[in-house]
Amino acid sequence: MRTAYNRFRMSLTPQRILSVLFIIGLGYLVIVPLFLMLRETFIVHPLERFQIPGSQVGELTLAHWKRTLFSENAYAFFYHPLLNTLKIAFGMSFLALAIGALLAWLVVRTDMPMKGFIANAAIIPYIMPSWTLALAWITLFKNERIGGDQGIFSALTGIETPDWFAYGTFPIIITLSLHYFPFGFMLIGGALRNIDAQLEESAELLGASRPTILRRIVMPLALPAIFSTFLLTFSRGLGTFGTPAFLGGPVREFVLSTSLYANLIGQRPGIGYIAAVAMILLGVLVLYMDHKIIGTRRSFVTISGKGARAGLVALGRWRWVIAAGVVIFILGTIVVPICALAIDTVMLRPGIYAWENFTWHYWIGDASLNIGLGTGEPGILRNSQLMSALGNTMKLAVVVAVVTGILGILVGYAIVRMRGNWISQALDQMSFLPYLMPSIALGAIFLAMFAVPRGPIPSLHGSFLLLVIVCTVSYLPYAVKAGVSAMRQIGPELEEAALMAGASWWTRMRRVMIPVQKSTYFSGMLLPFISVTRELSLLILLVTPATQLATTITLRYTDRGWYPYTNGMVLLLIIIVVTSTVISRRVMGTNIAKGLGG
Amino acid sequence: MLNKKITRTCAAAVTAMGIALGASGAAAQDEDWAQIEAAAKEEGALLVYSTTSRTAKAAENFSAMTGINVEVVRLGEQDLIQRTYQESVAGVHDVDMVVAEDWVAARELLANPGYMINYVPPTARELFAEEDKDPLVLGYIGRVFGYNTEKHPDADPLSSVWDLTTEEFRGRVMIRDVAITGEHQNALTEWVRRSDELAADYERRFGKPLEMTEDNAGLEFIKRFLENDAIIMTSDTKISEAVGAPGQDNPPYGMFYVYSKHRDAPLQGLKISDSRAIQPTLGYYYPIVLQLSANAKHPNAAKVFMEYLSTMEGFAPWADSPGVYSPNPNQVPFEGDMPLSWWKEKMWHYDRDFAAENRGIVLDTWLKYAQR
Repeated sequence: MRTAYNRFRMSLTPQRILSVLFIIGLGYLVIVPLFLMLRETFIVHPLERFQIPGSQVGELTLAHWKRTLFSENAYAFFYHPLLNTLKIAFGMSFLALAIGALLAWLVVRTDMPMKGFIANAAIIPYIMPSWTLALAWITLFKNERIGGDQGIFSALTGIETPDWFAYGTFPIIITLSLHYFPFGFMLIGGALRNIDAQLEESAELLGASRPTILRRIVMPLALPAIFSTFLLTFSRGLGTFGTPAFLGGPVREFVLSTSLYANLIGQRPGIGYIAAVAMILLGVLVLYMDHKIIGTRRSFVTISGKGARAGLVALGRWRWVIAAGVVIFILGTIVVPICALAIDTVMLRPGIYAWENFTWHYWIGDASLNIGLGTGEPGILRNSQLMSALGNTMKLAVVVAVVTGILGILVGYAIVRMRGNWISQALDQMSFLPYLMPSIALGAIFLAMFAVPRGPIPSLHGSFLLLVIVCTVSYLPYAVKAGVSAMRQIGPELEEAALMAGASWWTRMRRVMIPVQKSTYFSGMLLPFISVTRELSLLILLVTPATQLATTITLRYTDRGWYPYTNGMVLLLIIIVVTSTVISRRVMGTNIAKGLGG
Repeated sequence: MLNKKITRTCAAAVTAMGIALGASGAAAQDEDWAQIEAAAKEEGALLVYSTTSRTAKAAENFSAMTGINVEVVRLGEQDLIQRTYQESVAGVHDVDMVVAEDWVAARELLANPGYMINYVPPTARELFAEEDKDPLVLGYIGRVFGYNTEKHPDADPLSSVWDLTTEEFRGRVMIRDVAITGEHQNALTEWVRRSDELAADYERRFGKPLEMTEDNAGLEFIKRFLENDAIIMTSDTKISEAVGAPGQDNPPYGMFYVYSKHRDAPLQGLKISDSRAIQPTLGYYYPIVLQLSANAKHPNAAKVFMEYLSTMEGFAPWADSPGVYSPNPNQVPFEGDMPLSWWKEKMWHYDRDFAAENRGIVLDTWLKYAQR
């Protein structure tokens, strides 16, 4: 008895206890919603009953699946949008990965000048709503097809852009990858930074050329981060709605997310959720590939406790040219759209770009029915509702970033230390699932799950806590991916040494595991932080007047066409997020000079 | 869990029936308005979900006048229905009333199960037409066809909706994506229901009968319209700007965009006009609907607010543009616009039952040709 008990006690390692706790928690927050969503696809909903002869609301049915996958119009309903979705998701993931990885390498591993500016500016595209880039593209390149004022490019050159260039897959891939490349920049940047320079130096001593070192040493070591980036970007590509609808509609390029929205709006959730299930399955497929490829490789331990910092690649006389190229790229994709947003906030009457039309009214004006758009709204900075919503957004973003950050480290630790075990796999996949669920569906399901008390869980309806839970679950993958790639690179000997020295688990985590990978964790927290500030569809069903957020409250201006307010709020968010990023980097000691800057 | 759900649904339905009986029966005639007002003052506050952001403005004015505090949460059409539905099913009764659109869907999910009930306040009871009382209509929104007046300075270029399916209009007509616009789906069911009129108009215009491969003229229109390379957009604002922008050789035409966009046309220098010659319909109109929660915590305050919204004063935030019409007959139309009665004669609406039964077919036909 005693030995059995002891054996049991011995088996209670921190990673096991953590794993079990996480599996229970995630099971409730991930598997249950997934199951609920799947169940909807087999049920007759009120407006669906008219198309299913003889059916009653609430009955079980296979009709939704038959219609979507096997009917004579299945190609139009499902397969065509599916193909478009895959085209876009693959295209944008590769492009975003390439841009992100290149920038990360330049910033971390070379002596390119102006790193500080570039590193900070490179996250901005992700802070901006993705529609700003789509809008910018249309403004620049639209042709006669969608009428209105001439596109700037055509106006300047006299050349009409072809339709494939102005609308559809091509611009969707470009604008989405310009929006999502910061993923790769941050995650790969973190991984590159942690590669032991001795490895490269040894290779160099053995006569390997630069490209060989890059191909045989740096690439394989950065592979987990590369795959994580691909997975995160690809999944976003599967579910994204606004940009494909806006740029694809004029030439009839539709994606699965359109099917989801169309059927939810048509009050046919049973059909709509099939599109969502398809998106989730595709994501799971990529997740599985990730496991196959990364999982079967030996892990590469790059932080062995005796590492030296990497030396920087000298770009020689090219360094200024390259820096100039990067800066121009950033100016083009970031500064120009931001300026376009900013200009609209200081034009009294929209679209009239003249000095007499300049005003601060939308920022600091009094409520008036006679000035400008005649909105009767006080300027943004004097608008107490907007300011308190902005406060809520920031509070939520900080809380979610901290919570996901901590959870990400712990889950990452459990996954890596339990590797080879089914628990590790289950945890890894479960923590990723909510990220694959379209937020419009997840929001509705969480509303239903938490509106009433269930067992030990009280009703969280309308509470701030519910917003925190929903965002945490939804953005946990960022932090877990960061946590896993960080933990993978830490050799067990570091922890073992601490263990030998008598350090408790808590001390080991606090003094060893976390500090050595600070910048990777930081990236893992930064993404949830930014994501929360922009989230709308996930939270719209859950906010109350007391918990209004910047995005939900801005809706009322968007739908009246009062863009100076909408744009002003977006600008404020960008300013706040960038400022807090810079400050927190300093505070956390992962500042540019020592951190991403190599 | 399911059992509980059913019990709750039944309970809600029974309560609803009780209240509905009360409201439509004796109480509707004899309700003591003074008493309701007094009770409203005591309740002091209410929560409203609204699809239109102008409700917030109306609420502000109302609060200033009555001292009753109104919280307005702005939600999209489907978000509003979804949220109210889920909360009602779960027994969360925070919301007191809704200002909803897409009544076809809202009725199915919110009114039929008894979560939301109709209420007709005194002003509406006295002045509104019967058809505007159940559900109680806050206002109607008009959606029109439009063209560029620089290209067509003298005459309306459209005489039939079938013009939009001809070679001349190929790749030139813009519409907000029907797939993501519930009201468009409702409106097009009327084209199915009135297929004969639609087919007759084809014959009037082209002097030959309409040949169809679809089941009826309504669906045939959808097919031909999309095969004529219609341009699918995501925003009405973009449509009106594209149609009306000056200096275009070959401007597009707009279908079913909200007429209220014409308000800013002079300000933005847009050369745009709605078609008044197109047959058999000038577009469509649909209601913004007011409903009271069957389990409202502040039912009297909600009733008083509904009364306020039925008056011209309460409607003021909506009255500042064309294309939005109060059912209150005393309401003067926006400058240059026609009164609601004029539009009701020349514009199609939709039959709610028929729309509920057929909008799935409309959506499927749209998706079939749009995504092919």
